[in-house]
Amino acid sequence: MSTSARQRTTFGALIILAGLSGSALVSVTSATADSAAKAGNAGRIKNVIYLLGDGMGTTHVNAARERYYGADGNLVMETMPTTGKVSTYAVNKLSGQPGSGDFSPNYVTDSASAATAWASGVKTYNAALGVDAKGAVVPTLMELAKNDGYRTGNVSTAEITDATPAGQMSHALARGCQGPNYSAACQDTSITGAPLPTTDIRVTPIADQIARNGTADVILGGGLSRFDAADQSALEAQGYSVLGSPASQTVATKDDLAAASGDKVFGLFNKGNLTIEKYKRQNPQSAQAAEPTLPAMTEKAIQLLSQGTSAGKGFYLQVEGALIDKRSHANDAAQTLEEMKAFDEAVRVALDFAKRDGHTLVIATADHECAGFNIIEKGTYTNAEAVAPPGNVDAGNTANNSTPSRASGGAKDPLRSSGIVNGAGVNDVKNFAPATFRTVDDPASVQDGTPEASLWLSYLSGNHTGADVPVFAYGAGSEATGGSIDNTDLFGIVGRALRVTS
Amino acid sequence: MPLKIILAIVIAAVTGAAATWLVVDQGDAGDPAPGPSSEQRVVADTSPSGARTSLPGLVPATGGPHLTGLETARPSPGTVVQVQGPFDDRFILSDLSLTARRVAGEVTITSDVSELLELEVLAGFYDARGNLLATGRFRHHATDHHEAGGRTMPVAAQFAIAVPARARATAVSAAVGIPVLVNE
Repeated sequence: MSTSARQRTTFGALIILAGLSGSALVSVTSATADSAAKAGNAGRIKNVIYLLGDGMGTTHVNAARERYYGADGNLVMETMPTTGKVSTYAVNKLSGQPGSGDFSPNYVTDSASAATAWASGVKTYNAALGVDAKGAVVPTLMELAKNDGYRTGNVSTAEITDATPAGQMSHALARGCQGPNYSAACQDTSITGAPLPTTDIRVTPIADQIARNGTADVILGGGLSRFDAADQSALEAQGYSVLGSPASQTVATKDDLAAASGDKVFGLFNKGNLTIEKYKRQNPQSAQAAEPTLPAMTEKAIQLLSQGTSAGKGFYLQVEGALIDKRSHANDAAQTLEEMKAFDEAVRVALDFAKRDGHTLVIATADHECAGFNIIEKGTYTNAEAVAPPGNVDAGNTANNSTPSRASGGAKDPLRSSGIVNGAGVNDVKNFAPATFRTVDDPASVQDGTPEASLWLSYLSGNHTGADVPVFAYGAGSEATGGSIDNTDLFGIVGRALRVTS
Repeated sequence: MPLKIILAIVIAAVTGAAATWLVVDQGDAGDPAPGPSSEQRVVADTSPSGARTSLPGLVPATGGPHLTGLETARPSPGTVVQVQGPFDDRFILSDLSLTARRVAGEVTITSDVSELLELEVLAGFYDARGNLLATGRFRHHATDHHEAGGRTMPVAAQFAIAVPARARATAVSAAVGIPVLVNE
């Protein structure tokens, strides 16, 4: 047996063991959830709707719950019977899989590595899509589902060539190879040793792949600038109804979407990422307000996919709320919260369908946490606002002292904290103060951006963190997501539900 | 750990560290291996069962991205003009200037500025009659951007592209555009 074959075998064994141990754990800890899940579903899954909030950590869920439903309420996703947490780490380039001798973890993933983990069941390096950490192509769940006769859909508020949707529909050494044209950005000679010929799928622009591989029947999102006239011709030749026009760079609208029909639909509603909900709400006459919302795209995708099922097969739909991550990178809590609400409404659409249908597994999770989002106590401040970290000297018990020794600390620095960032300190671009928001628990007179608002939010950084992310699920088989799982486990859970993996 | 793997990781680290902020001409090491001259299916070298790696009808690229506007720009002597690209609604070019040795300017990304993954500025150089003499490229390639700890390039950044040697004696004007931009 070759080294790589042994590694695959070892990895496969570990996955099986992980799945078995996970099932055992759930059988003990989630009996109630298991019963509830099966009660809401006839037990045989035909469809899987996999939703993810890009960058959505547990605090994103907590904050959105408190903002929109109050401390005693729940987001829609939180009403699903099975809950768990997902580890998200990536690996370094040329790493082996977990358990192998050359395994080299990277504790903080990007969206590409995370997407490859659940779409293909392997750990890979940040920036890789549909290839393992040594550059080998690995099939995706959406490809396997399509090959097996399922209808397939991919919906995102990002460019459809961005990492999360691309993780199901492409194979690329570098996520930056989005198109419309090939460039040096497509190569990664640290993986391949020498530049690959442009006939190799792994250096083929992602837009070119999506337009020609037929992996998804319904494709809705942003990123029209990545596609050109040749792509439109290729799509139409496969039978897609193309909304708007890549050839003329005319974006599609929500009216186009509402009128769309057919087995295959391709609609991109912005040249780049879609527009945040907050802007569309505040500017209803703007061109951007003609973009559909994430729940609207989800509802249409389900309609198109469920009407086209045949031969006993169902559908597999992936839905991404991408702007949670992008606005978290920007430390923009107001926009982040509204994107969380939009994502949760998409979950509502999926869950309502699943309850009516009786044969649908719904999973709502995330790829990674973004920006170290935190809820801090009302009236307090963070280390980023302080002149120094908290003191760590315990004169009463010097055994508690540490190094370096800080006898005092923690005073707020007026240069770093000049007022609530969405209130009194709004014009200070160097201000690290928290943003504050009213919740349904506050009196009606309380306004966002004031000290009286009860929800105080802060960020650790402008980048991803390595924290586990939450997972919520409904439907037969959802119990497998309970407890503590890894993002690669989601490949097997969805694959077994669709009966496309063993 | 096998010696080959250790060596590969060292090479990867060195390559990654050197991969940002490049000013290069055409024909650099990042260009693809020779491609076909006629239509050919794009396939993977390794096609495991289930992966959809055949793209019928796609003509593989034969070089780096081009901007057709460079062919027709014909800028006046002493000027630098901007030509159309696919991402013109995502950036602003400013402070464009041309000397005997390089064209320079500043690109300010205006959309989704939290992460800049890829940027390529393409320049064309012209003689006094407006004939295109040569092209050059500026590339920003963010390798392992998250591993590097965050933003890899400021929202506004200067670029400079050397006038290729064969055009230095006669280039009197330039045109620039952006064919590659990946930001989020």
